[in-house]
Amino acid sequence: MTFSQQKRMSYYAFLAPGLLLFASIIIFPVAYSLTLSFTSFGGYGTPKFIGLANYAKIISDEVFLHSLRNNLLIVAISVFGQIPLGFLLAYLLHRKMVRNGNFYQTMIFLPITISPVVVALLWNQIFSSSGMVVAIIRRLTGENQYVMRIFEDKQLAIVPILFVLLWMHTGTYMIIFYANLQKMTPSLLEAAQIDGASESQMMMRIILPSMVGTIATTAIFAISGSLKAFDLIYAMTGGGPAHYTEVIAIYMYINTFKYYKYGFGSAASMIIVLLAVGLILLLQYISRKFERRFE
Amino acid sequence: MNMKRLLSMIFMSLFLIPALLFATGTKEQAKDSAGDGIITLSVYHFLDQTDKTTAPNFQYLVDVFEKANPNIKLSFEYGYGEAFHDKLQTMAMSGQLPDIVLLYPGERTSQVTNAGLVQDLRPYLSGHEDEFADMAMQGQGKNGEIWELPEDISITSIMFTNNRLLKELGLTLPKTYEELLAQGPAIRAAGLIPISIANKDAWPMQSCVAGMLVERACGLEWFDKAIAGEARFDDPEFVYAMQIIKDLTDKQMLSPGTNQLTYGQGLDDFVQEKAVYFIDGGWTVNNMVGELSAEQKTYMSLESFPDIPNQKGQSLSTSATAGQGFGMNAKLSKAESDAAWKWIWFYSGPEGSAIRQRFGRLPAYNLAEPKDADPMIQKLVAYAGKVPMGYVMDSVLAAEPIGTFNINLQNMMFGTKTPKQVAQELEAMVAAIGR
Repeated sequence: MTFSQQKRMSYYAFLAPGLLLFASIIIFPVAYSLTLSFTSFGGYGTPKFIGLANYAKIISDEVFLHSLRNNLLIVAISVFGQIPLGFLLAYLLHRKMVRNGNFYQTMIFLPITISPVVVALLWNQIFSSSGMVVAIIRRLTGENQYVMRIFEDKQLAIVPILFVLLWMHTGTYMIIFYANLQKMTPSLLEAAQIDGASESQMMMRIILPSMVGTIATTAIFAISGSLKAFDLIYAMTGGGPAHYTEVIAIYMYINTFKYYKYGFGSAASMIIVLLAVGLILLLQYISRKFERRFE
Repeated sequence: MNMKRLLSMIFMSLFLIPALLFATGTKEQAKDSAGDGIITLSVYHFLDQTDKTTAPNFQYLVDVFEKANPNIKLSFEYGYGEAFHDKLQTMAMSGQLPDIVLLYPGERTSQVTNAGLVQDLRPYLSGHEDEFADMAMQGQGKNGEIWELPEDISITSIMFTNNRLLKELGLTLPKTYEELLAQGPAIRAAGLIPISIANKDAWPMQSCVAGMLVERACGLEWFDKAIAGEARFDDPEFVYAMQIIKDLTDKQMLSPGTNQLTYGQGLDDFVQEKAVYFIDGGWTVNNMVGELSAEQKTYMSLESFPDIPNQKGQSLSTSATAGQGFGMNAKLSKAESDAAWKWIWFYSGPEGSAIRQRFGRLPAYNLAEPKDADPMIQKLVAYAGKVPMGYVMDSVLAAEPIGTFNINLQNMMFGTKTPKQVAQELEAMVAAIGR
């Protein structure tokens, strides 16, 4: 065996354990799920091949389309809400524009340390028909039948969940941006200040361009996290009432585990994977364009 | 070894390893491993271990059994709510079903029963059939198999009534639906809820109201025909039953924001005397025993929903089904099966049923009326003895049509679907899946 062959062998030997693990817990389940998605498998018996019928049924299902819409709203609130807000908060803290920065940093980060189920129970306690806010409004108005109807509106029922997601995850992005801002050379900003640059000019010309890579990474996190959103929403509403707050992961869960449609549920999960890959590729394309612009 | 061969071997192993991993995960072999004559059986049970009433009651039963059967050791694993069913499916699909498992008579655990993973209990039960309520002895499989021995008869629709509040408001128990509706304004004016019910989980409206109303509007005979395919779920009488739910919603007879209220809130409002009536299943009595004060128990009564106009079903009728119970793994040996049956028979047979009756349950095993039981239990037993019983929809229809129907009832209550649309969609789904 030549030296280069030995070298290559050693690469494979070192790579094999990780690859093996990856194949066992990622590639195999995904491949199995993909295979199941073309069948009408119901949990027992031999899976029957039905081609693309599951996919055709899913994309023409009104409930799926509403779930997809909800997922896209979550993606939007993550990318255009959590990330900018996280960046802004990190910027304010980094530039020491607020007093007691450490306190605010802890408070903003705190929600992400709480279990999503606890967060869901907490918000439910506040806003449900038997919750605190409704009780206060009933007392103040004397209207004992008062109910917050936003939760019963097909288009708006997702809004309170978007708010909770914003509250819960902004802290994560703030910490990421804060850490990256701290890595910046202070002399760069000091030089800009001496040259007479305003705060907004420093932000737009120096800080933001150096953050493009970080923004792209956080956006990938946000997109993939948003598309598989499940725990908080399931604990808050279970996707209800009447599918109003359902997302694709809940749609998949209900069809698989409540209706025993394993093939159908697998098809829904493959759609989540395809959506995530598609959106992330799009994002990478956009971020490459930005990087070139700022180079 | 050349590089190509090595590479192909690595990739082959990548795909074989997961299969090997799954294959090695075989069923736990506990049993009589110590050779001391003690048989250990794994049991999977539906139980909320944080429930201060149910959990200690169940443990008491286990203690009594293990004391009487020192050679049988039960090793429990618990699940609750949807998590119970999710795990059960995973166990069933991976071939790791426990020795004894809690099952449902209808479609809820059909992925276990239809797959032949559990034993037919009829050979063990032979000769004892008459000791159970008829409803509990109805076949659960296609050939009349009994997969699980029902522990209780579940009456799913009881109109619990606060007679103190009724009296204070100058009202009496309504005999007709119109009388009930007429009470609404007076009850609401007093700051109270006419009928407490929490439907966020979507099943209570179907299980506790719709089934009973279908019995009233359509009659038992119609339901038998509908299940057999000789009547349709979009027949006018079925639509009429749906219309009543819509009217109750529109006339503000139900808890405000009922579709936002988690199950349990309905009982809370009733116990705190914020509601005059409360519709729920007989299982709630179990909680009422502990939550109602001795004084409250004197004026709380169990009633039926009043008669509706053009009623085809019977007055006072409710909906009921044989409840869940334990079944046993089809792979058990003779000795293990005998030990498993001992537990199943103890739990749902005379001994366990008598204990559970004292705790507020309505056992499927025929027992004499309890004289020294809690007043609410005595009321439940008396109620069960006097009312005709119709079907519970989710015990006779498949999971998907029922799941969709539950959601459609919410849609109807929000005004986004009409009663007729709800009925038509149910019929279409039942027809497509098969009755």
